[in-house]
Amino acid sequence: MKTLLELNIRRRGAMSGVLTLGSLDPTFTAAMKVRGEPVVLDLRLVEFVEPSGICGLATLLEFLIPRSNEVGLMLSGHNVPAYLERMNFFRIFGDRVKTNTDVTALEERRRGNPGTLQELVNFHSEEEIPGIIGRISEILENKEYRLRERAAICATLSEICANAVEHGASPFGAYAAVQAYQHIVSGGRERRGEEVLVAIADGGIGVRDTLSRNPKYSEYTKTDNDSLRHALKMGVSGTGEIGRGGGLAVVGQIAVRTGGSLSLRSGAGRVTFYGDRTNSRNVPFFPGTFVRVSLPRKV
Amino acid sequence: MAKEPARAIYDVASSEIGDKLMVTRGTGRRVREALADVLEGLPPSGILYVDTRGIDLMDYSFADEALGILVSRVAAGEYGERHVVLVEEDRELLENVEASLRQRALAMIRVDEVGESPEIVGEVPEHLVETLQAIYKAGSITNADLAAKLGLNHTACNNRATRLFKLGLIHRRKNSAAPGGRQYSYEGIA
Repeated sequence: MKTLLELNIRRRGAMSGVLTLGSLDPTFTAAMKVRGEPVVLDLRLVEFVEPSGICGLATLLEFLIPRSNEVGLMLSGHNVPAYLERMNFFRIFGDRVKTNTDVTALEERRRGNPGTLQELVNFHSEEEIPGIIGRISEILENKEYRLRERAAICATLSEICANAVEHGASPFGAYAAVQAYQHIVSGGRERRGEEVLVAIADGGIGVRDTLSRNPKYSEYTKTDNDSLRHALKMGVSGTGEIGRGGGLAVVGQIAVRTGGSLSLRSGAGRVTFYGDRTNSRNVPFFPGTFVRVSLPRKV
Repeated sequence: MAKEPARAIYDVASSEIGDKLMVTRGTGRRVREALADVLEGLPPSGILYVDTRGIDLMDYSFADEALGILVSRVAAGEYGERHVVLVEEDRELLENVEASLRQRALAMIRVDEVGESPEIVGEVPEHLVETLQAIYKAGSITNADLAAKLGLNHTACNNRATRLFKLGLIHRRKNSAAPGGRQYSYEGIA
């Protein structure tokens, strides 16, 4: 008997058919209950995948695969399987999951995606990060991003990747993906622009347990949301060493400077930082830490 | 005339470890170790100019590990009276160096080019900035002259200059032949 895991895919509005981390919320709790039986993930309502969705899906599969004797993915149409193939998804998971799609046919038609700045990448150690940053910087340079834009994207990615491997150590490491989307940027006069989305997920102990190592933060780690809000402050780190705990705060400043945002999810907390305000919400449990950074760009 | 202190210039981007993109604490640690080797090879009062102008990106983790920790060790006296000066233009890349030094309540001297006028990166209390500027403007100045210039008594002036000396931002010399006994004189490091 196969267990069917259904996603929370919206059917109306601007986010209709979009696979985000939130779409996967029901599946993480269900994944924890799997005891060896075959599992099928139903992605047939998905029409569009953003970096947070692909990183979330990769994290979910890393939790599911060791718990199930067979994990299947149900996909529909051509666009989503083709996108997952272009994002290296099947190179990482092709041998570990079953799909109702002929992946070989997708490989033959593989073409570059103009908006892809970083395909889904799995990494385990800090030593891998300079290589990741070097590749994305070259892509950005070829796409004629200005130096300050390249620096903002690369610094965001490097700091969050470093946090993931340092504080979020897990058997599967961490996943990252970066994608640029063309859209209309509002302002004094609407004009074409772009939004660069950076997503990174790990399966480590999470922000609350990391900060709880430092006894002086006991007042700030009573809930996951308390911990996430505190982690955004300059100099807050689990080790308490001077100079530590600056990376996330700097990423928040970069996001705000571009007019974007920084979202964190860990445990049952979700916090989004916009500079002038920070929104918190209790959400279904996420086993690890997830970071999404939006960096709008006027072109 | 005081003898010109020995100096070395370390170009980070073109070093063996260097690149246009300097990220992560691991990379920062390796650069710091290379900088410490050069610093230790300098004679007392020597100055190490760390040139980062060839770098396009320096993330916070790298900046803190390579420069923040090095500056904190210089300020703690681990390298005697040897000093570190940053050679960098006033650009966004400095923000992470600034953030790291502020976290550590430290500062370092920055110049656009070796020999050009010094600026401060990091955190120096307002009342010390005035003292620092007066010392750099004078080139070399005794505690008595500095106290007179700032309208301070000798002890207060000496306290301020000692704090700047301990931050690694100035040289301090002892003039034992001064009238009335021992007196310090101060001069800039860059």
